[in-house]
Amino acid sequence: MFNFEFNSLAEAFLMQSQNGQNHGIFVWTVLIIVFLSILATFIFYKMSIKKITKKLK
Amino acid sequence: MYQVDRAYSYIFYISLVLYLVSIFWGLFVTPEDFVQGNSYRIIYLHVPASFISQSLYIAMAIASAIFLIWKVKLSAYLVRSIAPIGAITTFIALISGSIWGIPTWGTWWVWDARIVSTLILFIMYLGLISLHDSFSNHEKADKFLSILVLVGSVNIPIIKMSVEWWSTLHQPASITISDKPAIDLVMLYPLFGSIVGFAGIVTCLVILSSKLQILRRERNKSWIKNYV
Amino acid sequence: MNIIKFELLKLRSKSRGWLGPILVFILIMVAFPLTVEISNKDLGNSFFAVLWIAILLVMMLATEDIFLEDFNDGSLEQFAISNISLPYIIAVKIFIYWLLIGVPISIIGSLFCLGFTNSSNLAINIFPILLITSYIFINVFSFGNALSLTKGSVLGTLVTLPLLLPLLIVLGKAVISINLNLNYLGFVALLLGVLSIIIFLIPLIISYIIRAHLE
Repeated sequence: MFNFEFNSLAEAFLMQSQNGQNHGIFVWTVLIIVFLSILATFIFYKMSIKKITKKLK
Repeated sequence: MYQVDRAYSYIFYISLVLYLVSIFWGLFVTPEDFVQGNSYRIIYLHVPASFISQSLYIAMAIASAIFLIWKVKLSAYLVRSIAPIGAITTFIALISGSIWGIPTWGTWWVWDARIVSTLILFIMYLGLISLHDSFSNHEKADKFLSILVLVGSVNIPIIKMSVEWWSTLHQPASITISDKPAIDLVMLYPLFGSIVGFAGIVTCLVILSSKLQILRRERNKSWIKNYV
Repeated sequence: MNIIKFELLKLRSKSRGWLGPILVFILIMVAFPLTVEISNKDLGNSFFAVLWIAILLVMMLATEDIFLEDFNDGSLEQFAISNISLPYIIAVKIFIYWLLIGVPISIIGSLFCLGFTNSSNLAINIFPILLITSYIFINVFSFGNALSLTKGSVLGTLVTLPLLLPLLIVLGKAVISINLNLNYLGFVALLLGVLSIIIFLIPLIISYIIRAHLE
């Protein structure tokens, strides 16, 4: 459907560029950190709201 | 509160889908950059975070001004609830920026004006939270929080203009209001998508946080009993 | 005029209040080359870094109880309801603190600069910058002190510390401009502009905060 840049999953993991550097590790690290922090924030707020509504009932 | 509850799930799922699609597009479909190689893809995570963190501070400043002038209590709740979210977004911006710096500049931290000002923004968010929580009297705490937010809003022009005023390592803005964008169009569309998507996710977080704040502060009022 | 004499007498009588910070400043500047074993020619480069940090910390120390004593013995309330406007009284208080603490520190700092860098051009040019900077620091730290007046903690002062970090960036570039003789008057003008805004705004903000505390 689209013209993917990387041809296989292993290539996408490394993200090798024209001059041979493997930058994939940086991109995936940042992605994991960002997603984990957003997820942790959501979970924290949902838990706090649940706790306080239970206390108010 | 009820209307927000109903709209919440729509906002959440739409912006989540938009954000994930933009990230996916940016990570896998866009071609690689000539200068930086493939590590430029962090831009789809870093730019939304820093843009949103500055916009959150401006939103806090507007809400503080509304609170001080018209004494609307909801504005004070909003200021207090945006502060932790702003801290987390600034944290994401700093971490993604410094990890991006390793392949691009060779170092993960450099003391130039924009990076230091963003660090100052992060410290200010934490200082705002700690200042508000140190007061037991809530009206006083709200007033002081608003004043501190307004005084600290001098940092935002410094962040935005620091790339023009001083010659720094951080690259200047690729998207401005007046000029043609300095970035290729193929890479521009997922960038816009990820900014809008991230803004939607942060809006959901702010809604949750202000819900928590309202529940905590108004727990003795009668309408709460009907709500829960 | 009476107010100025009154505040002057009050601060001068409390010798711990104004002599203490000056002595701490001298102590820091004297202890710095002792603790860091560097040769004579590197002393000039790192002197300015220590100078700005030392002034920052000494001003934080000096304004720690700028309003606390008055708040505790009730004279702040008398100020608030008196005929003379509260921002004016606060401005006078800050001015007296600057006269008794900021100006001596600027003079001593310039003398230390002469001693460390052996360049009278630097020492003479840094003096007005020191005067203006110490006044800005005293203003901002007294704003921080007013925020946490009832708690008696340094939380308010610490929270306003990040606001001064951009000023430190500008100061570093100002020192470079003196060395290269590039745009020195521009930096002095910038600092004077910041000072003029701050002198006007900070007493108003502090008076609002104090009235909120007194309710």
